[in-house]
This record gives sequence, structure tokens and C-alpha cells, in this order.
Amino acid sequence: MFPIARSELIQLFRNRAVLISGLIMPVAASIYFIYNRDVFSRIGSLGFVGALLALTIAVFTLYATTVTALAARRQSLFLKRLRSTAASDPAILAGLVLPVVGISLVQVSFVLGVFAVVGGRPADTALLVVAVLAGFAMMLALGLATAGITNSPEHAQVTTLPVSLGVIAVASWVGITGTESLAALKRALPGGAATELVVNAWDGAAPLGDSLLLLAPTLGWVIVAIALASRMFRWEPRR
Amino acid sequence: MEQLTEKVGAVPDRRLLAGGASPGPVIEVEALNVTYGDFPAVKDLSFQVQPGELYALLGTNGAGKTSALEVIEGHRPASSGRVRVFGQSPTDRAATRPRMGIMLQESGFSADLTVAESLRLIGRLSGRSDRVDRVLGVVDLTRKADTRVAQLSGGERRRLDFATALYGRPELIILDEPTTGLDIQSRDALWEAVDQLREQGSTIVLTTHYLEEAQQYADRVGLMHQGTLRSQGTVSELTRALPAAIEFSLPQGAPAPPIPFATRDGGAVLIETFELQRDLKHLLDWAEVNMLELSGLSAAPTRLDDVFRDIGTTPVPDTP
Repeated sequence: MFPIARSELIQLFRNRAVLISGLIMPVAASIYFIYNRDVFSRIGSLGFVGALLALTIAVFTLYATTVTALAARRQSLFLKRLRSTAASDPAILAGLVLPVVGISLVQVSFVLGVFAVVGGRPADTALLVVAVLAGFAMMLALGLATAGITNSPEHAQVTTLPVSLGVIAVASWVGITGTESLAALKRALPGGAATELVVNAWDGAAPLGDSLLLLAPTLGWVIVAIALASRMFRWEPRR
Repeated sequence: MEQLTEKVGAVPDRRLLAGGASPGPVIEVEALNVTYGDFPAVKDLSFQVQPGELYALLGTNGAGKTSALEVIEGHRPASSGRVRVFGQSPTDRAATRPRMGIMLQESGFSADLTVAESLRLIGRLSGRSDRVDRVLGVVDLTRKADTRVAQLSGGERRRLDFATALYGRPELIILDEPTTGLDIQSRDALWEAVDQLREQGSTIVLTTHYLEEAQQYADRVGLMHQGTLRSQGTVSELTRALPAAIEFSLPQGAPAPPIPFATRDGGAVLIETFELQRDLKHLLDWAEVNMLELSGLSAAPTRLDDVFRDIGTTPVPDTP
């Protein structure tokens, strides 16, 4: 797994397009949200800004880069090449996604750390960590599933749009309007429960027990996405 | 690809180390079927490859050899039948890959990695151990070690492909159209390296469109057509079934040759024979006695190409 992860890291940093779209742009967007935190916190809350930051990284660094990288490796038959070795399928997949997971975690730690310093500390850091990890797990699983229907890196620009825009839209909806109305729908949509969890962790507005229940829909999406990925993921281009 | 002897080096016979004094077949294929939807790509294919053998699996386009090879490589499940590599399922990569090098038909390298990085990665993951610089030397890519794969020519990529297959001197090497895209010098060097691996006991499975390579290097050949194995054996066994050809032209008014013959368009005489040496001597003696010049005389043994063409034009028998 680790030799694959090392080679994947090298490839990510040598590919300017991935570097800009997957790694630099999310940080740039995060800086914009932090700079305008007063505007966004007036619309929602500080927790809403925190949720936007975490999901921006989760969507654009983790999800989009995972889909693009896996599609590119399949299109170039690199996945088939890796399967010509003794490495198992789980080890190959883990090696391929490990660098982008690592980069995403570093990014989100840095961005949320900066936001905590300039905007105010979260009420429950441990819950925030759990919330971010659950959201990341969901986006990674959705990335594996989306990679199954993505033929090329170019195609990824189209196939990632529904989930990317959907998750950001749901996060904005939940963060701005709260979950007093349509709670079940908002929590069931991908990113809804994760957003509420981050908001609760940052603002400290809800009892811990209630917040932990919000993990269920997010982890439910992880299970659904993994089930979809196991059906849809392909190791070689469709002939 | 200079100094191959030195670079390939001598290694102990791994067959003896791994499997004892009397190893079974390296590859066993029994009643293999591969279907895509309703289309049968491989039909009831059976063959074995013995240790140390170079087995060439040849076929017309769409014959099913790539599908069969992909099952043997563990890249594709069999629809039915049984395939074993070293007595194991080829999908058991942890068990088979450390003993098996695969040269894929298509490159499959990352454009953003260098030659040395690519070889090091695939080599390490294969479970075999070797020195990257040694292997790059064998395929004459030492000077390209730090070049990104994106900047390699097609022939250089094929050589890198070959390097991943021979990394760690595996007991079994699968070469899927290894010389396609290589210049003549690189081809010769590749076969020289293969020869040396065979001297060390490696078993080779080959597919190629260059039939002269199979004719020259293969111990046994399997000929596939429309998904079935139509013929199998040594080159001499396969070519023995078809007649050799003697061809020449006679001057106007010459007597008929003493051996049954056919006349081609343009008047050339064609004699097909299973006794080339005897009939050629007979013909030359006859020409000398009659003071005839056999212009444009050629006498050629049956080649694999002829067997291949014969199979390609013969309908596939119905399977019960």
C-alpha cells in the first residue's frame, strides 16, 4: 500500500491541473470564507462557516480529486498494471486514496485551525473531529462510487458535479435555515447531517447525545456509497 | 542492450527451490470458457505449459488468445473451466505474482512517474527482489532512468514493460506481443534476454503476431481460431501436416516434370510435397538429364505462416 501511496503522491504533485483544481482552489475558497466570516456567520452562524470550510475541502480536494485520479489511473491502464502485481485490490485502492486523504486532513486541520484562531474556538473540539471524519468518510465513499461511472479525468468534471453541488447546496440550506423545519429530509440528504453536526460542535447549541445521533445518516451514506462502489467500480476501461 | 550475459547473471534454479525435483505443469488450462454476454470468446480451451518451456499461443484477430491470457494472468474470471498457475488460482495474486512476471499488451504506466520510479514501484509490488539499475541495463533504459514515462517513445515503453516482467527473474514470464513497436535491434536484444532467462529455467508464455518469432523460439505452439484451440504441438509437428512447396519456371517446349505438379497463372510450376529433400533431388536430377534450366527455382519448407493461413481458412467444426 505504501509504495503505491508514495507514487500517487508524486503523481499528484507533478500534475499541475490536479494541484491547482484539487489542492490550491479549495484552500483559496477557504480563505475567502474565513475572510468574509462575519457575512456568513450573520446568515447562519460561526458553525455554518466551519461546516462550509470542512465540506469545501471534503468536496473539492477529497471527493473530486479521488474521482479524477482513479479515472485517470484506470484510463491509462495503471490500475491493471498494479493488479499485475502481488498487491491486493484493497491495498491498491487504499494506496491510491491515501495521499489525497492525508492532504485533505492536513488542509482541513489548517483551515479550521486558522478559523478557530481568527473567528473563535469550537465549543466541542472532539465532536468537531468526529463530525469532520464522518463527513470525509462519506465523501471518500461517494468518490469511489462516482469513479465507477467516470471514464476519464475530463469526464470527472461532469460526473462530480451533482454530488459536489448537491452537498454544498444541502450544507448551505441546513446551515442557513437550521433543522427546525423539514428536519428528516435535511438530515437524510448527503451532507445535511454532517453540516448540522459541525454546526453543533462549533456553536455548542445541542446536547451531545442528540448530536451523536446525527452520525447515523452520514455513516448510512458511507454504507450506501460503498455498496454502490462495490457494484460499479471497474479496474479497466470499458471495451 | 549490450552485455546481456553479464547483466542477466546466473541465479539458482527456483523450480527446484520452490517445488522440489519433479514439478508439475506451470500452467494448466482445462475446458476454459470465456463469454462476453452471449458471445463465446474462448470455447473449451485446454492446454498445459511445462516448466522451462516456451509456449506460444497464437491466433487470428479475435481468436480469443487475449481473453485466455487474461484469465491466466488473473485479470479476468473464467466463465467456466479451470485454470491453475503453479497449482494455484491465478487470481490469488499473493501466491502467484512473486513467481510470475507479466508483460502486458498495453503499457499501463503513469505518465508522471519516471522510468526508474515506475520499475521500482511495480518491482516492489511484485513481491520479487532485484536491482532497478540492473534491470534497466538489460533493457537498455539506463540513460532514461530519470525520464518521465510521458516522454518515452513507444518502443521504450515496451522495453520498460519488458523490464517489469523480468524484474526479479521470475519462474514464469508472460509476454503479450512483446516485440510490437520494437526496432529490429531491440527485438534481437529482447530475445537474447529471454534466451538467458530460459537458460536459468524460466518458463515463457508468448503471444505474437510475428510468426517467425514463434517459429524460431517456441518449443510448442497452440493455434487458436474463433475461440478454439485448433492445433497444438512443436513447430515441426504443426508444419508436417502441410506440404512444402517447390516452384520454378520451365522453358517453352520442355517435357513435363516427373513429379505431380500444378501450373500457376503465368506458367510457373508448383510442386507440393511432404518429401521436400527427396523430390527436390529427383527434380534436379531430371533437369540435369534433360539439360533444362529451372528458372526462378525456390524450395521452401512449410512455415508456421502456412499453417496459420490454413487454419484461418478452415471452418471451425461444430462442438457437440
